[in-house]
Amino acid sequence: MEASEENSGGGVVSASSDSQSAAPVREDGGPVRQELDETERREVFTRDALPYLDALYSAALRYTRNPADAEDLVQDTFAKAFTAFHQFRPGTNLRAWLYRILTNTYINNYRRAQRQPQQVSADAAGGEDGTFSLYDRIADATSAPAEVEALSHLTDDEVKQALADLPEQFRMAVYLADVEGFRYAEIAEIMDTPIGTVMSRLHRGRAALQKALYGYASERGLVPAGAAGADESQR
Amino acid sequence: MEDDCHAALSDLQVFLDGECGAALERAITAHLHNCAPCVHRADFERELRVIVATSCRDVAPSGLLDRVLVALRHS
Repeated sequence: MEASEENSGGGVVSASSDSQSAAPVREDGGPVRQELDETERREVFTRDALPYLDALYSAALRYTRNPADAEDLVQDTFAKAFTAFHQFRPGTNLRAWLYRILTNTYINNYRRAQRQPQQVSADAAGGEDGTFSLYDRIADATSAPAEVEALSHLTDDEVKQALADLPEQFRMAVYLADVEGFRYAEIAEIMDTPIGTVMSRLHRGRAALQKALYGYASERGLVPAGAAGADESQR
Repeated sequence: MEDDCHAALSDLQVFLDGECGAALERAITAHLHNCAPCVHRADFERELRVIVATSCRDVAPSGLLDRVLVALRHS
């Protein structure tokens, strides 16, 4: 069949589209999927977008922290994406485009129902200012090279819970960067926020995540409790 | 030496993200080449990311794909 379908027309992309690569949906983009009839569009969408089902479900579960809401969110996301699919430009970043729709849908339709705070304050992150270092806490209490060893005993559920403990905007940024591997510019696009804000959320979110992981690790005795909750006053 | 470590570590996360820019990347790489404690710390941070990434992936429940397909049919 048309193996080169994704590339058709790709050779005449204007130079400006590169600088706009963070914007998967272009209002001025000209014909994109309009060459496809309804059936073909459905086929292409099913082929290209549905493979992201598991990934989007994972993200939805991290966002909503609730399997039933996560399933609904994924279904809504695919329905919205399909409705808007004629606006998606082949050759641009479909994965980031889907995550943006997922994130928007979550913020608009689910977050309110979950009564989440809209803005993150420093207090919401347990006063986290981005300086907590799990490495330092473990290194203070054990002899190297036990740090990585301690990490390997954390269960998947503990790591998921530590992420779930984070304020929403930290949770989303850390998930998108550290689990999905999105670039800062992509996360900025997905979360509709400046790159500097992404970096700040990542910085503080990762520190808060390490703090939460440290809590689970010390609860289970994976790291000596001597350093638990100790502040810088501890030598 | 201490200053070098401080400088390298203050940008470690951005470095590990591959987003610190070429000049800083060269400087941090050079520092890591000569500083075992900082390498150890960088390895720890890398390993932590791997653990977070592998722990936080789920598989969609069976039935969700069918729900999505039905929803698409009615879109």
